[in-house]
Amino acid sequence: MTIIFLKNTGRFIFLILFQVLILNNIQLNGYISPYFYIYFILLLPFETPRWLLLLSAFLLGISLDVFTNTIGLNASACVLMAFVRPFVISSISTGTEFMIGHSPSLKNQGLKWFAYYSVILVLVHHFSLFYLEIFRFKEFFQTLIRVLLSSLFTLLLVFIAEYLFYPTKE
Amino acid sequence: MHYLFYFLRKRYIYFLFLVLETLSLILFFNYNDYQNSALTYVSNGITGSVLNVSSDVSEYFSLKRVNRILAEDNAKLHSNRSEAFYKADTDSFYHKDTLYKLEYRYISAKVINNSTNKRNNFIMLNKGHNQGIENHMGVIMGNRIVGQVVSISNHFCWVMSLLNKDSKISGKFKKNNQLVNIEWSGGNYQIGEVKEIPKHVVIHIGDTIITSGNSDIFPEGLLIGTIDHFTIAQEENFNYATIRFSTDFNSLSFVEVLIDLMRQEKENLKKSFKSSER
Repeated sequence: MTIIFLKNTGRFIFLILFQVLILNNIQLNGYISPYFYIYFILLLPFETPRWLLLLSAFLLGISLDVFTNTIGLNASACVLMAFVRPFVISSISTGTEFMIGHSPSLKNQGLKWFAYYSVILVLVHHFSLFYLEIFRFKEFFQTLIRVLLSSLFTLLLVFIAEYLFYPTKE
Repeated sequence: MHYLFYFLRKRYIYFLFLVLETLSLILFFNYNDYQNSALTYVSNGITGSVLNVSSDVSEYFSLKRVNRILAEDNAKLHSNRSEAFYKADTDSFYHKDTLYKLEYRYISAKVINNSTNKRNNFIMLNKGHNQGIENHMGVIMGNRIVGQVVSISNHFCWVMSLLNKDSKISGKFKKNNQLVNIEWSGGNYQIGEVKEIPKHVVIHIGDTIITSGNSDIFPEGLLIGTIDHFTIAQEENFNYATIRFSTDFNSLSFVEVLIDLMRQEKENLKKSFKSSER
């Protein structure tokens, strides 16, 4: 239990620093801004109580917010994403029991399951984040392009990380 | 009562979600009220020290560009020195002249965090309240505009860059002083919008737009950019153009904060005008 807690805390700090120091400096034609830090929420263990899920998502969002001077923006998107997560998991449950202490991963759940899971959650997060940031309908389609391109880039990073850190055994 | 508790316990997760979501939305929409609150002071202190380290490293990559801008500025300052002028009358360069009074003072500051890829971009500088910086001061780089200070702590400040949906700059054509508004609509960080160009103004590609000096933030004559593209509207009263910013927001490293020494006087004047109106 303690190991899982320490592992997740370490991941929390690493992802925030990675997002602030590296990803926030990436400039790709103004439409792509990847938010890879939400990988933390994707990787929380299956049996995490829902209140802890919501609280840690809130903490994650607010810590990124103080670095980017957008208090509340990332927090609200993260809380929404954490709230949706159990519904997504139960909607695609394969019938087999998840192992205690395991996190969702490409290796254990398979490509199809993980792709479905991560695409939905990343889109939920990015949609709420970008539209809340603009908060006007004038730039609707422009924002839509930003949401889709950024989600694509974030997902790319998520899959790269999955293959890097949890390689599938053949 | 019993059922209420039962209901609350059963659905507590929805309440927790609603509480957290409302809390973050309240924080987000009321953030302007929190600008100088204890929250900003503490969080700016922590984030500032982390970002400071990161900018110490990345600073080396922009040294070449910084040098060039410094050299340009030096050249300009040299040409303003009294030695550069032909002296018909030595007294004309008397420093404590009552005709010339110092209006602006500049504080050099280092950019320790910057973004150009969001819809609303902010810049963090390593100078704050202790160095005499206050809200709504203008920030420039050389003779190009960057943004305005929106939030300060003891040692750091946040600057709302021109690349922000709340940023509206009053500018004018350098050639004929026609007033226009400059905004940024997201996307490419080099291109902005010029709005409300009167129909009779003849626009050419490459026309220079400078600050008008109508706002309290920037003095007149700072460079904003040049016209990149324009459309002549058929049915509306104003033409529309896009502007290529002369500031390269993606490579800011050292900037200057403008301190308006006569700001108090200007504000008092405004206040007295308003109170006499009633």
